[in-house]
Order: sequence, then structure tokens, then C-alpha cells
Amino acid sequence: MRVSYEWLGTMVDLPADPADLVKELIRTGTEVEAVERVGADLENVVVGRVVSCEPHPDSDHMHVTQVDVGDLNTDAEGNPVPLQIVCGAPNVVDAECVAVAMIGAELPGGVKIKKSKLRGVESCGMNCSQRELGIGSEHEGGIMLLPADAPVGMPIADYLGIADTVLDCEITPNRPDCLSMTGFATEVGAVLEKPVAVELPDIQREVRPASKDLVTVAIDDPELCSRYVARVVKDVKIGPSPEWLAQRVTAAGSRPINNVVDVTNYVMYLTGQPLHAFDLGKLKDRDGKRSIVVRAAREGEEIETLDGQVRQLTPDMAVITDGGETPVALAGVMGGMNSEIDDTTTEVLLESACFSPGHTSRTSRDLGLMSEASIRFERQVDAAGCAEVADIAAALFEACCGAEVCKGAVDVYPEPVTVEPITLRPSRVRQLCGADIPTDFMVACLARLGCAVVPGKPGMPIEVVPPTTRPDLTREIDLVEEVLRLWGMGYVEPSIPAARNHTGGLTEEQRREKLIGATLRESGLNETLTYNFATSGDLERLRMTDDGRGDAVAILNPLTSDQGEMRRSIVPGLLRSVAYNIDHGVPDVALYEQGRVFFGRADQAQPDEPHYVAAVYSGQWRQDGWDQRFEPFSFFDAKGAVEQLAAALKIERLRFKTANPEKYPWLQPGRAAEVLVGKERIGWCGNVHPLALADFGIDAEVVAFELDQDKLLAHAQEFRAYEDIPTLPGVEVDLALVVGEDKDYETVVQRVKSAGGKLLDDVRLFDVYRDPVRVGPGKKSMAFALTFRSPDRSLTSEEVDKTMGKLVQKVQRSLGAEVRG
Amino acid sequence: MGMIEELEAVRERAQAGIGEAGTLDALDAVRVAVTGKKGELTALMRGMGRLSPEERPLVGKRANEVRQQVEAWIASRREELEAAELARRIEADAVDVTLPGRRPVVGHEHLISQIVDEITDIFVAMGYTVADGPYVETEYYNFTSLNAPADHPSRSPRDTFYVADPTDPQPGSLVSDVLLRTQTSPVQMRVMEAEKPPIYMISPGRVFRPDTADANHLPQFTQIEGLVVDEGITFADLKGTLDHMTREIFGKDRATRYRPHFFPFTEPSCEVDVSCGVCHGEGCRFCNHTGWIEILGCGMVDPNVFGYAGIDPETYSGFAFGIGAERVAALRYDLPDLRMLMTGDMRFLRQF
Repeated sequence: MRVSYEWLGTMVDLPADPADLVKELIRTGTEVEAVERVGADLENVVVGRVVSCEPHPDSDHMHVTQVDVGDLNTDAEGNPVPLQIVCGAPNVVDAECVAVAMIGAELPGGVKIKKSKLRGVESCGMNCSQRELGIGSEHEGGIMLLPADAPVGMPIADYLGIADTVLDCEITPNRPDCLSMTGFATEVGAVLEKPVAVELPDIQREVRPASKDLVTVAIDDPELCSRYVARVVKDVKIGPSPEWLAQRVTAAGSRPINNVVDVTNYVMYLTGQPLHAFDLGKLKDRDGKRSIVVRAAREGEEIETLDGQVRQLTPDMAVITDGGETPVALAGVMGGMNSEIDDTTTEVLLESACFSPGHTSRTSRDLGLMSEASIRFERQVDAAGCAEVADIAAALFEACCGAEVCKGAVDVYPEPVTVEPITLRPSRVRQLCGADIPTDFMVACLARLGCAVVPGKPGMPIEVVPPTTRPDLTREIDLVEEVLRLWGMGYVEPSIPAARNHTGGLTEEQRREKLIGATLRESGLNETLTYNFATSGDLERLRMTDDGRGDAVAILNPLTSDQGEMRRSIVPGLLRSVAYNIDHGVPDVALYEQGRVFFGRADQAQPDEPHYVAAVYSGQWRQDGWDQRFEPFSFFDAKGAVEQLAAALKIERLRFKTANPEKYPWLQPGRAAEVLVGKERIGWCGNVHPLALADFGIDAEVVAFELDQDKLLAHAQEFRAYEDIPTLPGVEVDLALVVGEDKDYETVVQRVKSAGGKLLDDVRLFDVYRDPVRVGPGKKSMAFALTFRSPDRSLTSEEVDKTMGKLVQKVQRSLGAEVRG
Repeated sequence: MGMIEELEAVRERAQAGIGEAGTLDALDAVRVAVTGKKGELTALMRGMGRLSPEERPLVGKRANEVRQQVEAWIASRREELEAAELARRIEADAVDVTLPGRRPVVGHEHLISQIVDEITDIFVAMGYTVADGPYVETEYYNFTSLNAPADHPSRSPRDTFYVADPTDPQPGSLVSDVLLRTQTSPVQMRVMEAEKPPIYMISPGRVFRPDTADANHLPQFTQIEGLVVDEGITFADLKGTLDHMTREIFGKDRATRYRPHFFPFTEPSCEVDVSCGVCHGEGCRFCNHTGWIEILGCGMVDPNVFGYAGIDPETYSGFAFGIGAERVAALRYDLPDLRMLMTGDMRFLRQF
């Protein structure tokens, strides 16, 4: 909403500096997005008196003028001296006062005024025409001539009265009243605690035939249109608007078109009621009458709107039709080309109606067509005011278009608006606001907002009847808000609620979720965020089966095709981040994300949203340093992080099982593991398959894991039992076993442990060695450090040797292992 | 030569030898040569048996003196040599302390998580709980129960992502009342349905809106919702709580401003500005020359919302607020482009 400060000033007494009003508006809830000074572009253009005018010595049409601008131009001693200006306009010889653009002025057309020489004569400015000043079309006739008594040196914008400030205000959707100058003035009056007076024009004379003898109106469906007022004016003389009207309409943001259209726009800006003028002559004459029928559009119906576009209509949209047949306007949004006012129009049918907010809003949105009218109807127009507004417009047609006003109006208003009184408890206001706002203030501010207020006895509720222009005021709480914002939220003394009988804090699960993140960071991984959207086909590209991952949740209106559904795995997003890093010259990537995945279920409107945690590794921890070397990431970095997680969560039965390549086709066979706790599968860990990586544009190795965080957390424990710290020294013995490649570490260790008995305290693998000659083909040598210990005595070497001998024997038997010397 | 003279000679040789010993090994060789089992002094002392009983105590005494003296010289020379040796070692061990240190590899928390954690900590310290809700929501929880009018533009597909509803009897339907939540506010309703007042909760999480990603917008971002429902909650309580949060996040010296605004689910509603940290309210480029920066929306819970939740608005009142984590991040670090929060760029992540 563009608010002309000058116009507003005719309705309510305003502070001299618009900035002071802006502060008050912001304080009370009207956002001012911009403050525009109209006429500001005429800076350095002033009234000047032509003191002499001589023909240019070197030109047959130019003149050299001396133009007095008062003390705006002075000599070295500070005495005023006229400016010498070379002027090409023929009428300068008659000029007494002129509009002078001085050096430094920048005219609306972009012309910058500089000191120059014209055919050898110095010129220090320009005498301007109306067109050059951007305030009219006059140019051919020469420069603009001002009366001899024009005040020399006065800025031209002030002299011509075009200086204004326009406040560009953002009006919240609950305040349709503020989309009008009268409503805005009422708000400002309440904010500033000043009276508001709006002068409205009256119709001077009504003539016959009456509007009702010329027009019939029918509303098919009152849900589309709750009131339709039609008035006719005749003998209209289409022409340019008077200057004041053109200026107001311009300030409000419209381009002046002709007097009839400008009047409808002006009245809309004034009252907030959009109006439409039909050329009566273009509607079908039905026995001397025109017929207006408001109805729903028909499927497939079309209308060419005033912007020249042909619009396809749907039954949700309302149209104004000529007798129920041809649409002549798109109700509440824009008129039709076929009934447009043009230079030959003499009779006007004026529409002042109230269309449904919902239908207007959808029509405007569906057609991508927003207008000053649709913005207002969307937020609800005051049906109670339609007739009065039609009268105001008729009076202006009479005054500005030479029109004869036909008597009366046709007014179809099936269900007049009623406003219920609201009971306001001043004690409730004070209680909710936590501020000691006096009852008198409540009464006064609501009255200033246009409410009819009946104060009760002291301590008793107030009866409030809001004006029909305020559809947002229907409940006590709505009035509380009005009182609070006008009182000033800033004056409410802050306090902190006591929270009696309430305890807060994170739940155990929430603490553990955070622990997972902290542990992964301690393990060197960096947290990242990726989109919860996925590209359709992400799982296929990754070669990930949708086994257990439900159905894809499809977005019906995606922004881009690569965000068409919700993710079912975090890994594709992380792989995109790996690719991003590598593409940007960052080869070392270690990322994790904790987030949700979305598993659609056929029998659920909303999908399951389990929390997952996933990580990717590519490259190495960092580039080598002067005394630090890093290995390329391997399967065991990912596995180590998972082990660390389990340790942090005190999960005891974590296991890794070789993954079946058929079930885990996105992983590189041989470097792929299922992660289990006990018998429950909670995720996987492994090298991502090179073919999958290629499909994500990655030409590097990537190790990853993905765990179901909810399942992981279900196994977490708060405490782990204390174990005694050994007090007696252990005996360490090395053992190198040569076993077949088919024997995995888990099996070997388990056999060694069971063979070692109670005295075997610890088994640590410290080397794995392969050599076709020395170890043999298809075999590996695994070297273990075994620690023997008894909790209650020191072991003798004989005891250890004996135990060791038995151990070797058993292990050889059960594993087919041989012991390397 | 008598024993005494011999002892004297040993003493002198030992003294010279000790003085000449430049290393601990050389010193040890001297020690062995003099006082070792086969040393000169030891040999001399062994020969004392050949002396007369008169001579013996004299020579014995002298021999002991020499021995002690030699041992003392060795000890003191050893100290000297050890000190020199240590000094040499220390000198050889010196490093260029300006060389880079050996830093452990530790990961970083994402900037947005840090902000969420920070805000969570502020409220948890005030006794709040942390609640959660689904990202794929129903229109009822995201809009209707929050008092959004049926025709509210925010419900349009231009402002809300809708998702296919598998239970829709018409498969392939393009109309759905299942959506990606556009705000964390639906958690308010879910919490009010599940719990009785007093409620003091916050709910951080992702929200989604169809805004094309650019420097200032992301189609997925992070909000922290807050809700308090209790007896006698006032607008003053809202202010006190949010003033506290604002100062904790932005600094004790920052002022707040409450501007009345409109939200369907709160009334009275307002937006909160914090004074600009760059110009301290004077007005600068950063705050668009207003001196203030908008940080959140809030208000008193609308009685209609209580109605949907089955809470009596005459007994209870409450306030709610929502703050954007990305906005806080952008303000605090003057980020030139929000999209860098989503790329996983290691150079970005490691900065925070």
C-alpha cells in the first residue's frame, strides 16, 4: 500500500517529519518498507528570474540568458550573481521566471546538468520544459514559463506543489481496512491519538431515468458475491483527469489513464472498495435495459482481460456476464476487453460489489493475475460500504467527467452484514498482557479505531461493536491485540514465567543422540547436512535395494526434478557431497549426517520416518604433514568408527558379518559387512561399489556406513558393569598361526580363546602375513600376543608352558592350523 | 720406591687420567684402571700384607685417603661429564617451535547444529523439554489446527510441498492433504494433544518450502519452535523469555524491539528485532539502515488453537515462537550464500 503523506495529511494531523510517523507505525504494527520522496529527483531545480536575454553571438536561434537564482549562486565575496545560461527555446524571450536546472541536477530522463560551452559561450545550467522535468508533456512550445512573482530560489517541486513523501507500507493479511486511505487515516489517528476527518464529495444533481430503469442485476450464487451495487452515469466526457486527481492516482501507484478510470481507481484507493466501470453501450440492450448477471464461470469459458490476455476460466471462478451469457469481467480481478471504457464512451455502468475472498484469491493465483482489486477482495472488502462508495464515485464522475448521474442505484444485497458486539474484560486484557493498562485507554483507543464502545461500570466488561471495515475483530482476544499494540509492546515490563510443577531437560534418548554425534566427531568425522529430498532413482543408481526401505514418498509439486521425492537413504546425498568436494579440489572427505529417512507405507498417509546415521570417507584424514603420515581410508576406518559408537553407547554385542553380495550389491564384495547387535541387523559398513561410485561421478574410493539410529539406540545402556583391574603381572606369549584363507579372524580368535581356558586373559592380533612360499598359497599367518594371568596368584613358567601346549594342540586340531616358529 | 710413594704416583696418574677423560666411557676406564678389581690401587692394597705391622696402619690409612680422593674426583668428573652430555643431548634435541603441531584428527559439528544446540541449551537450562514431530505432516496439523484459514495463500502449492497420499482412494491424484511441514509449529499441536499443561517445550527441526535455492533461500531449512502453556502466562513472560534468549545468542549488549505483526496461530502476534551488531542501532548497510534486524516471530497462543487442542483458554494461556537457525547463522557470520550450508564442502565445515 502506497500512502501519500500529502493526501494522508488532509485527513489527519501528521508530524512534520514523515520519519516520526514511520517510527510510530512500526511500533504499532504497520511495516514501512520504503519511504520515497516524490519530487526528490528534481533536486537542484529551482525557480529563477530571467534578468537579461541576449541573442547568441554565434547562433541564429539560441539566446544567452542571465538567470537570478538568489543566493544559490554567489561570487567569491558571497554576493548573489545570476547564472549565465545558453537557451535554445524560442519562448525564452518572453520569460520572466523559469524552472532552472542548476549544475548538479539530474533530470528524470537521466540528463545530468554540467557546466558546458555552447558555440563558445559558457552555460551554467538549463531552463527546462515540462517534459524535461517529467511533470507533463509540454515541450514543443518551449520552456515552462512561471509567473513573475514566483519566489526566486525555491525548489521547483515545492513551488509546483508536487513534493510529497510516499510511504510504501506492508499491510498484514488481517488488515484489509489499511488498504484504503480512509482506513489508513483511522489507524494513524488511533496511533497518534488525533481526530480523523475525511471530506467526501456529494452528488450535486440526480437525473432520470433512474439506474434501476436502465440496469438489472442478478447474483447467481451469493457465496461468490455477497453484494452488487450498480449505478449509471451518462453524458460522460472522456478526457484527461484534472491535475489533483492524476497526482493522487500517481502517488498511489497507478498510471493516469482517463478521467473515468482514474475516478474508479481514486475511489478504490480512498475507500478500499474496488470499482469497475463498464461502457454501458457495449452491453446488450434488452428492451432498453442492460442485464448484469454474476455467476460461476463455465468449464472452457474464456475472457480477454484488460491486459489483452485471453484467460481460460474454471467453474471456481466468478464472472460478470452480459445477461448471463458473455463474460464481461473476471469478478474481483480484472475487467474484460469487450466492455472497456474508451474515448467514445458516453454512458458508464459503475460496479461496486463485494466478491468472495476465497474465490478471488484462488482465481488470481490460478491465473497468475494479481490486481489492486484482487488484493483487496482477497482480504475481504466491506460489503456494508458498497452503496456509499458508489455514490462517492458518481459524485466524482459528475465533477470530473461532466457526467449526469442517474437517480439511485440497483443494489442486490441478499444477506446484509451484521456485527455482533464483543464483551471485553479490562482485567483480562491486563492479565494477558502482563501490563497495567488503564481501562480508559482501552475505551479511547478502540473508539479511535472506529468501534462503538459502551463502557461498563468500573470493574465491569466493556461492550464493543467493531466497524464493518474491521472483519478481523470478532473476539475478545482480537481487541486485546488492538489495545496492546496501541499501548505499545515496548512498554510491557519483561518477566520470566515460574514454571511451577514442571521439570525439563533432555530425555535419555536425546542425550544419546547427541552422544552419537559427539563420538563420530571425536572419531574424526565432520557433520554435514544434506537435503531430505532425493532424486528419483537414487537407490537404483547406488544399486541399493529398497528392501525394508518402503515406498518412495513422491512430492506432487517438486521445485526441481532432482528433488522429486523424499530420501530413503542418507548415503546418496553424502556421495553428492563427496563428488562436490573432489570436483572442488578437496580430495580428503570424512562426513557424517544424522537425519531422517522416509519409508512410505501403502496403508499409511504419512510415511515412517526413522532416524539414520551415515558416514562416508574418501581420500585420507588429511594431506601428510612434516611429521605426520596418513594412510588412505580403508574399510577399517569405517568399522572402527562404528565400534567406537558401540563403545560410547555401551552396546556389548556388536558384530560384523560378511555381507552377502546379492543382498548388498551397492558394496564392493569382500569389503562389505552387515552390522549387527546380537541377532538384529542395524546397518552396514563397507567400500561403496566402484560402479555405483562411477554413477555418482566419483573417481575415488569411498568407504561408508549407514546405521538405523533408532535400532542402535534401543541397544544402548546407561552403565556397564565394573571389571577388576588386574593387580598381578601377566605373562605375554606370542603365537603365530598359519590358517587357510577361509578362516576369518572372528573364528580364529574364538577358537584360541576357548582353547586358552580361564588363564588366557587377552588376545591381541598384531600381524597378518601372506607369502606363497613361506606361508603357502591360500594361507595366511596370523600373529597373536597372548596374555596369561590369574586373578589370585603369579603364574609360573611351567604353568604357562603347560597351558600354551594344550592351547596349541587344540587350535591345531580345530582350525587345521600350524604353528610358525 | 716405598708404598707411600707408589700410592702417591697412583694418585697423580689417576688425577691426570680423570682430568683427561673426555667421555663417561673414558672416565669409567680410568676408574677400572685405578679402583677396579684389577686396578693399580686395588693391586697395591692387596700387597699391604707384605708390610710390617707398623707400616700397615699408616699405609692403609694413606691408601684409603687416595681411594676416597680418587673416587671423589671420579664422581665430580662424572657429574661434569653427565651435565655436558645432557647439555649436548638437549642442544641436539632442539626443534623449530614454529613448525606445525601434531594435531589430532577431530571432526566438526555443522554450523546449524551448533546453533540449534546453543538455543536448545538456553531453553533446557530454563527447564524446557525438547519435542519432535513428523516432517511429512498433514494439512490438519500444519495449517487447520493452527487456525490458518481454508483459503490462506500459504496453503497453496506455491508455498507448500504436497506429497502423494498412499491411502488416497484415487491413485495418482494430484491433490493431497499430506505435505512437508512448512514450519515447526505443528509440533505445538502434537505436544498439546499429548501432554497436559504446564508445557514448556522447544522443538528444533527441518522445515520445507518451495523456494528455489539461492543466496538467501533454501527449500529446506531449520526452525526452532517454542511453546509455553501454563496458568497465568502473559505477554510480559514472552518478552522476558525471548529477551533472555536473544541476549544469550547475540550478546548482552543487544536491545530487542517487539513489532506487532500477524500470524494465524497467535494473537497478539509480533516480530522481534535485535539491534544491529554492526552499527549498534545507528543504521548501516548490514541492517538496511534501520538499526534493527528481524530475528523471529512470536505471539500469545490464539484461543482457537487451544480450542483445537482441547485446552481451556480461560484457565490457561501461553506463548509460542519460531526462530530460523539459518537466519541466525547468516547474521552471526554474515554468510554470503546460504547454499554453502548444504554442499558438505570440507573447507566450510572445518571453519566452525
